[in-house]
Parts: sequence; C-alpha cells; structure tokens
Amino acid sequence: MKKMTKSLLALSLASTLLGTSGLALADSFAITNATVHTATEQGVIQNAVVVVKDGVITSVVPATAGITYDVDNIIDAQGGIVTPGFIGSMNILGLVEVNAVTDSSDAWDKKADITFDPSFGYNPKASSIAFTRKGGITRNVVTSSGGEDIHSGQTFLVDLTGDWDSVKATSTGVFVSLGANHEGSRATSIQQLITQLEKGQKSLAKVSKDKKAKEDAPEPEAADEIVKSILSGEKPLIVSVDRASDILAILKLKQRFNVNLVLVGAADAVLISEQIAKANVPVIIDAMRNLPESFDSLHNDLSNAGKLHAAGVKVILSNMGDSHNIYNLRYSAGNAVANGMDYNAAIAALTVNVADTFNIDSGSIMVGKPADIVIWNGDPFEFSSHVVKMYIDGKEQSTQSRHDKLRERYTTPSDMPRGYTK
Amino acid sequence: MTKMMPSLVMIAVTTALVGCNQSETQDPKVTINKNPYPSTYQVLPSTKTIIKNATVLTGTGEKLENADVIMIDGKINAVGENLTADGATIIDAQGKWVTPGIIDVHSHLGVYPSPNAESHNDGNEMTNPITAEVWAEHSVWPQDPGFNRARAGGVTTMQILPGSANLIGGRGVTLKNVPSESMQAMKFPDAPYGLKMACGENPKSLYGSRSELPMTRMGNMAGYRQAFIEATEYKRAWDKYEADYAAGKNAVAPKRDLTLDTLKGVLEGEILIHNHCYKAEEMVMMIDLGKEFNYHSGTFHHAIEAYKIADTLAENGNCAAMWPDWWGFKLEAYDMVLENVAIVDAVKNSCAVVHSDSPVTIQRLNQESAKIMHNANASGFNYTEEQAISWITVNAAKSLGIADKTGSLSVGKNADVVIWNVNPFSVYAKAEQVFIDGAKVFDHQDTRYQAQSDFLLGQE
Repeated sequence: MKKMTKSLLALSLASTLLGTSGLALADSFAITNATVHTATEQGVIQNAVVVVKDGVITSVVPATAGITYDVDNIIDAQGGIVTPGFIGSMNILGLVEVNAVTDSSDAWDKKADITFDPSFGYNPKASSIAFTRKGGITRNVVTSSGGEDIHSGQTFLVDLTGDWDSVKATSTGVFVSLGANHEGSRATSIQQLITQLEKGQKSLAKVSKDKKAKEDAPEPEAADEIVKSILSGEKPLIVSVDRASDILAILKLKQRFNVNLVLVGAADAVLISEQIAKANVPVIIDAMRNLPESFDSLHNDLSNAGKLHAAGVKVILSNMGDSHNIYNLRYSAGNAVANGMDYNAAIAALTVNVADTFNIDSGSIMVGKPADIVIWNGDPFEFSSHVVKMYIDGKEQSTQSRHDKLRERYTTPSDMPRGYTK
Repeated sequence: MTKMMPSLVMIAVTTALVGCNQSETQDPKVTINKNPYPSTYQVLPSTKTIIKNATVLTGTGEKLENADVIMIDGKINAVGENLTADGATIIDAQGKWVTPGIIDVHSHLGVYPSPNAESHNDGNEMTNPITAEVWAEHSVWPQDPGFNRARAGGVTTMQILPGSANLIGGRGVTLKNVPSESMQAMKFPDAPYGLKMACGENPKSLYGSRSELPMTRMGNMAGYRQAFIEATEYKRAWDKYEADYAAGKNAVAPKRDLTLDTLKGVLEGEILIHNHCYKAEEMVMMIDLGKEFNYHSGTFHHAIEAYKIADTLAENGNCAAMWPDWWGFKLEAYDMVLENVAIVDAVKNSCAVVHSDSPVTIQRLNQESAKIMHNANASGFNYTEEQAISWITVNAAKSLGIADKTGSLSVGKNADVVIWNVNPFSVYAKAEQVFIDGAKVFDHQDTRYQAQSDFLLGQE
C-alpha cells in the first residue's frame, strides 16, 4: 500500500463536516469515522479511513493504522456505514419513462433477437435514474424485456450519474428466457438454443481446422459472432429459468459447451442447489418471491437466497425486470437476511458478486477500484437508514429527483396556486 | 305496441280498485334478500390469553411500554401494565412488539390467486363497463396460497375487490384471514359490502380499444352518471313500492335488476365506495359525483396524487388508500411522492391508509408503512410508530366500515392481534404469532399453526 506523506494536522484543517459541502468534483478526499463494508477479504473495518484520489480508491485502513494522507476534503461519516455502491442487474432502468406510454417505452420489441442491443434506447435523463440513486445504487446491468424469441438480446452496463456518457459497456452478456412456454412446448426453446450453440461450435471447429476456409468464409453474421463470443466464454450466457428440471438441462449445456453460464429467476434452484454450486454458476434471484406463481416456481420462498448461499452458490439479488423501484433492492437484501441469509453475503450479493459475474470494475472498497461509494447513516438494509452521500468514480451524486420537487411544491405554504411554487 | 294496450288498461283498472278499496288483500310482499351468501365464520379454538411485557402499539395513537394485553372470549379484555388473568395462557413478550391485526383494504387474493393461470383469472368481468351485478366473493378460491402467506405477515382482515377494468367493477367482500374450504366461512360477519369503481386509464383504454364508451375520461364520467341515474330511478320505484305496500295497497314490485340492486345499496349507504382513482382532478370530480347522486364517495384507492388535495379529502371525509412508492407504470401514476401518505395523514380529520393491491406486499404492510414513515421523517416530518400503525389498522378498518369491530386494541373489540419479534417498522421484523378473535391462527415457531393450501400439499 502506498504510504501517505502529509500530517494528520493538515488533514483536520481541511476537514469539512458531513453535509456542509455541495456536490463535489472529483477532488481527493478521505472518508473518516466509518464502518466500512469492503466486500473484499478485508471484510468489515471499524473506524476506517477510505482515501480517494482522481476518482479511485487509494487507501482503505483502520484509523488505528496511523497513516497520514493529503487530501482536499475530509468527509466525517460520523460513525455511519460505508458500502460499495450497490449494483442493480437484469432490469430495464433507463429504457422506460412510463411503461404504459408506449412512445416512452423501449425495453420490449416484438422482433428482438440475439442481436438486439437495447443500449441504443437508453436515456440517462429518465426520471427513474435519479430516483434509483436513493437506493444507493451506483451502477446497473440493463437488459431488455425481450420480444417473441427466446433471445432478449444483449445486456449493457451503465453508471447512475445520469450523465450523457453513462453507458459504460455494451454487449456485456446474452440474455435468453426459457421455461414455461405459453404458446407451445418449453422443449422447443431449449432445442433452439442447443441447435444454435451446436452450429456455432461446428463453424468454429471448421475455421480453426482449415485456414483456407477462414480466408474464403463470408463475413459472419452478427448473430454468429455473438454465438461465438458465448462459446469462447467471452460473454456470459444469462438464462432466465425457474423450474428445477429446466435448470438441470441448462447446467448440462454448460458442461457440454463450456459456456459462462448465469442463471436468472431460478425460483426452484433451492431443490438442486448442490448441483448449481458444483457447476460454479452464479444465480440472480429476487429475494422477495415467495408465492407459487406458476408450476415452475412452487418452491419460491423468502429463505431461498440464504439457502443458496449456504449451499455455496454465488448469489446476486435483483429486482428483475423492474423499471422504477429498483431503489428497493437494499430492502430485499434486508428481507433475505431476516430470512436466514448471512449479512455479509447479502452485501456481496448487491456488490462484488454482480461485479465479478458481469466483469464490472466496481463493487468493492479496495485500493485501485473506482470510488463508487455510499455513506449511510445506519444499516443500509433498514428503512430507518438513508443515503447521506454517494459517489460514482469519486464524484458526489445527488439523490434528489423530481419526486422531491413535487413534495416541496405541495408542502410549501403559499397563497398562490401551487403552479407558482418551483 | 298494440299488444301492450290491454294490459296497461288492466293495470290502470287495478290501481283504481286498490285506490278505493283499502281492505283488498295484498299479495305477499316482495323483499330482496340482501345477504344470500351469509357468513358461516366460526372462531377457531381459543383460550383466555395474556400477552406480557410487550411494547404495544394500540392503533389508537398510543405506544405502551412493558404492557400486557388480555384476550378473553375473542375480545380485547384489557390493555395496560401489570395485568393478571386467572387461568390464562401466558405469553412472555419481553422485547417483542404487539399491534392490532393488519388490515388490507385492497387485495385480489382468491380472485387472482397463485398460481397465476387463465383458469384462475376471476377478478375482472371485462364484458361491460358497468358490472355492478358481479360480486368478488363469487370468484374467491379459498385455497389461494397467498392467504397463508399474508397471515404469516400479520394480516387478519382484508377486502377482496374486483379488478379495475370497469367503471363499476362489482362488489368487494371483507374476509377474515382464516383457512377455509368456503368463502362464506371466511366472510367477516356484518361487514358492509364495498363497491369497486375505477377512474382514469383502465376503463377508458379497455373499452376505447373496442370503440365503445368510455373511450375518454369524459366518457368515464358519463358512464358513472348514467348508471347512477338508473339506480336513482330504480330506488325511487322500490321506495314507492315499499310506501304503497305500507299504505295497504296491493302494489306491484318493480322488476328486479341485479346491477341496480347493488347501486341502490350504495344510494342507501349500505355499500361503501372503493374507488380506484390516481389523480387529483379525478378524485375531486368523484367527490362531486357522490354529491350529485347523494351517496358518499368513500375511499380512493391507489391515490397517488392524494397529497395534492389532502385538505379536500379530509373535508369530505374520504379515506385515501395508497402505496408507499409504486409509480411510473402508467401516466396517471407518474406524480408519486414518497411522502404521500404522510402529507395526507398530517391534515386534521384525515384517513390515510396503506394498501397492497399485491399478493407480495400484502405480506409486509408493516414494511410498506415503515418506508413511508422513515422517508417522510427524512424529509422533515416527525411520525412515530404509534401513529404510522394506524395506516394499516384503524384507518383501514374505518375505510371498510368495521372500525367498531376491529383495527385497534380497544377493550371490547375483536382480539385481532399480532406479536412481532422486534419493532414492526424494521426490515428484520417478523410476525411471530397472529390471533383472530382471540384464536391463534399463526405461530412462527410452531408448524401446527402454519396452515398450508391444498394446492401446495404434497408438491415435490
């Protein structure tokens, strides 16, 4: 770890009390007097100091370590909790302003297929994005709602700054929905995927065997290129499926094609958690599902997140498919803990596990990581806690949204019609 | 038309005869059975019980520390410190919290049950914009596993409503959350019926897409008004029949109309309005609609913009039933504020209710209220647990017209009680024991008190 040079005295002179500064630029700063959930092997550090320079975390140590540092600002967390910014996943944030206003809704397309790239429809100014920041969410893996095909297209990564350049990576994964089929047999859907992967594998084998064939081969279709990137393990194959028998069928596909598999939904995964753990497949679940919504999900239960973790499965918590209330993610984690999930595992399920699964450079408080950091006034899973400050790449973010403007308008006394209160 | 003439003459003759002969024999009086599917609810086995040393939220705005609650013969017998009850089962609730049973004024459990399947889509009679003739109770599947889940979340009473596809969607029914093979055995005795009405986007978009009225919001209003004009005439005809019969005349009863029976019940104040209505301007019109036809406009459900007209709602005695944070799914749900319930509740004589409309969140109405309380307090309000619990207990009971029976831990009321492991406004809170009319219906620790639906029994 890089040794800091300046004295603690200089530090306290530069000290700024929590809540008194405006939205800071990417200055250097240190967060002091915090309990830091690092989401790393360092675990939880009491009375810690986190130093950020140029948007990157440069030091995470207990105050007792006695290091010195030279920063523009000191943020006294006043004994609060610091976590990595939470990372949402498999939702449609930013693709929708109002779901039922079809002109403002770009998550779904009848013709969506494996090539569908919904990132072209992303609006960083969607009003739900600022609202989502209230939940301490700093990055998000966006997906589409799909169309008529088994393929919903490709996921993409955003930060929640709401800035014009907030799409950080596109085509980060390929999303497929299998299982219950309203129009026909679920078997056809799985067969379609198998056929696609077999075709891709054959084409890869042919190319590597015969150099001339490679030279003569026509320019590959976009869909073929994407299949290849799944087979090479470059892109995760994200499969939404609930029934245990379907999950087992997909685990066989992983074995056969050696794909980088991620399960989504997985209502009845708890029945076969050992097999999933053994196959080393992460599972993205909604911790609040506990009703037998269909014959595919008879074993939905609030204890499932904890049980999967205990069985050795890497768990990611998500409110899949949501557009407007993704901010509730931290409460889902609280409910998972209330129903048996290890607390630190629940923190990991909102942070480092998402980062690992989707290859995101974020999700932990460690040296070298982007400073995606949230300061809470208490347990981040509790209703009584809220975001005190949050940073994305070291830049402070507001948690205010148009909802706050509306509340202020209607709670500010005025003799004039409310329309004059801005 | 010519065929009608002789009978019209006959009626005129009959009327004339009746008019001048008071002693003429009357036909048996035609009366309408207002309760043809009566409650068969029976209290589950119970014992005299005392809950000791709990933090008690009474539902009436009080928070009592180290307090005891005594339940005898299905009623709240006493609430206070250092109580004793001879021969009572003692529950040590040290460190635990006690609240009234949770009430949800807006549920579709049983009518849109789990599993979700076409065979189970029984909540919306989407065949006519006015379907006051349908009763949600006739669609209730008592084996919906959601009832058991809701009970584990402390829900003791809930109103099951038809959906919001129609301007007037039909009657809702208030149920006690006990496992049963029949709807009648869940039916809350003597609870008034509700009538589901719907403003805004749902009815106009459904029927508009079929090029039928209503296609617009003005079409919506025309639809309600036409229905209540007919109901007013129907009521007038029945009132006249009643008066004439009472005067000894052998009057002819009006032809019975199932749709208008229900609307007449509204005009007579026997059936309470439960109106799906998001927007401020629509709620204000619905209040006037009630005044136009001389009925009370009741409770506004999903009242996302209630905060804009909180004073008007309180002045007119309307409850507003709200979510903490649902928004954005429709344009009429765009102007959500997290402090909606708090702003409505802050007005004198208000009636702020938190509802679910969801088989998921009905299980955690305590958490839904916690979100509101803490978000509001972060924005400058100063709500306490003893105030916030009213949103899902006493105010909900008021909305359903059963506040004289349940909704608070007042002596003499039904012993509908929840014991929570910790402060129910914590994300880690769980209902440990739930009582309906003094009988234990759920115990977190004891599988004998964890009912399971027939549907889930034996599933692998």
